[in-house]
Amino acid sequence: MEITREEIDHLAQLSNFSLEDAEANALGKDLNQIISYISQLDELDTEGVEPTYQVFEMENVWRDDEIKTQEADREALLALAPEQQEHQIKVPKVL
Amino acid sequence: MKDYEITIGIECHVQLATRTKLFSEVDNDAREKEPNSCVSPVDYALPGMLPRLNKEAVKMAVIAGHALNSEINLISRFDRKHYYYPDLPKGYQISQLYQPIIGAGYVKLPDGTKVRIEHAHMEEDAGKLSHFAGYSLVDLNRAGTPLIEIVSMPDIHSAAHARDYCKELWRIMTYAGVCFGDLYNGNMRFDVNISLAKPGEPLGTRAEIKNLNSFRSVERAVEYEYKRQSKLLDKDEKVVQETRGWSDDTGETTSQRSKEEAQDYRYMPEPDIPPIHLTKEFVEEQKAKMPKLPEDYREQFKGQIADDTLEILLDYQPLMGKLDELARGDALRGPAGPEPQASGSDGRDSAAGPRASIVKRVANWFASVLLAEEKSAEYLNDLPSAKQLDDLAEMTEKSELSSTGAKEVFLKFFDPQMRNRDAREIAKELNVLQENDAGALEKIVDEVLSDPACAKAVEDYKAGSEKVLGFLVGQVMKASKGKANPAAVQPILKKKLSK
Repeated sequence: MEITREEIDHLAQLSNFSLEDAEANALGKDLNQIISYISQLDELDTEGVEPTYQVFEMENVWRDDEIKTQEADREALLALAPEQQEHQIKVPKVL
Repeated sequence: MKDYEITIGIECHVQLATRTKLFSEVDNDAREKEPNSCVSPVDYALPGMLPRLNKEAVKMAVIAGHALNSEINLISRFDRKHYYYPDLPKGYQISQLYQPIIGAGYVKLPDGTKVRIEHAHMEEDAGKLSHFAGYSLVDLNRAGTPLIEIVSMPDIHSAAHARDYCKELWRIMTYAGVCFGDLYNGNMRFDVNISLAKPGEPLGTRAEIKNLNSFRSVERAVEYEYKRQSKLLDKDEKVVQETRGWSDDTGETTSQRSKEEAQDYRYMPEPDIPPIHLTKEFVEEQKAKMPKLPEDYREQFKGQIADDTLEILLDYQPLMGKLDELARGDALRGPAGPEPQASGSDGRDSAAGPRASIVKRVANWFASVLLAEEKSAEYLNDLPSAKQLDDLAEMTEKSELSSTGAKEVFLKFFDPQMRNRDAREIAKELNVLQENDAGALEKIVDEVLSDPACAKAVEDYKAGSEKVLGFLVGQVMKASKGKANPAAVQPILKKKLSK
């Protein structure tokens, strides 16, 4: 299965990336390699096999509804954002 | 304009009233808090952070499902819904696409119409964006708030029913105690899908009106869409499948984005959250916590409280709780009082029960006196005790108070100076107790009849003019300074005059 340029553009659009031609071509090459590698799995007959959500057989990993003080405070977290203003994360205008 | 059939399906987001968020242990109540002050590294999606499911949110979802008459799916799972937007730092929302926790159910509207629920699933809320010239600001306090999204079947066929459905959902969720129900702060939000068809023809293309946060705007948006879409269809033009926004100010919907463009969420199983596997015992335990729901009260008070009065009162759960307490009657009159009759669960029995007239009286006071007042919301925070209300209703039944006097006393129950006092104490203080004592009344009647100013009236009555009786009752009322019970005065007057 060959991934088309159209599909790369579509994925880029979904992720809000703008790609140069060279980047799109390089990504296309990588993606094709990844997909062909993964495609080996297609040889297996998975008819009637439940999809695997996780491999540890765990369930009900849940916690009590109790507020815990966070080690990372507001300022520390905000400091990770490229830009902030009035204790909020500043981003380019979106609609 | 031709006639079209309208078909409506509604998706409702309900914020669960948990203490912490769905996957992080920070405060879920961000009301009046600084932006980004209720945020953890999980909500920021920092690399390596592991979300951990809030058990309370699962319990509330089970309760909500039960309130929707739904099956609870014992096994449910989370999935990632990918979209790229700054209100969600992970780049995906953790939701439940394939195996939601709440299965098919239904909601019954006040007029008995059933709206089927397709399913409801758990998911996390996104952050809040504020838009300014050239930039936007992101507050992540709301990111990660637990939601259930309730998806209805397209069973709604009018704007009024769309409003009724949303309001009933709001009542059910707040009664069940899983949501604070503050619509102004977005505790519940409605997405309304609307399509038209000529009678007998298949459904047309639908438009989705997103993010409505009041019952009124749901109703208005549906009315507007009916007009907009029917105009297009009249001209043989096509309705575009798209998301539209509603403006309360203009009263119009406007196109936001076309769905054909790029709605591709690339769902995948969420590997960070192992599946939920509930036992039947766990589900039953949650069901047992269910308080009475609006529909239970409708059945209970059918025939006791007028339908339209009841629908007004049903907006206020504490009021219904109070009426329920009055209807049960236990512990109100003390051990010496008359034996209260059980009237709780079965509406048909209680309609005829001895508590029915008390309940009806109090219901009417709440509806016509209290809720008619401007300050009703404030009043509702501190309701009088069932004992106070019961005493007042009892005194009124026994004609110790006129209906006007009773209303005066009732209002004083909400007066900070008087709110803790007995009905009788307040009635005395207001001087509104009626004189029923026959001996005392006879004395006043004698005085009035012997008053020369009334001689003419007495003469007229004896000559056959019944009309003057009203005048004489009035004179007695005046002489008693308004305290005589006119219903008790009349027979005494008649008796004396016929001698």
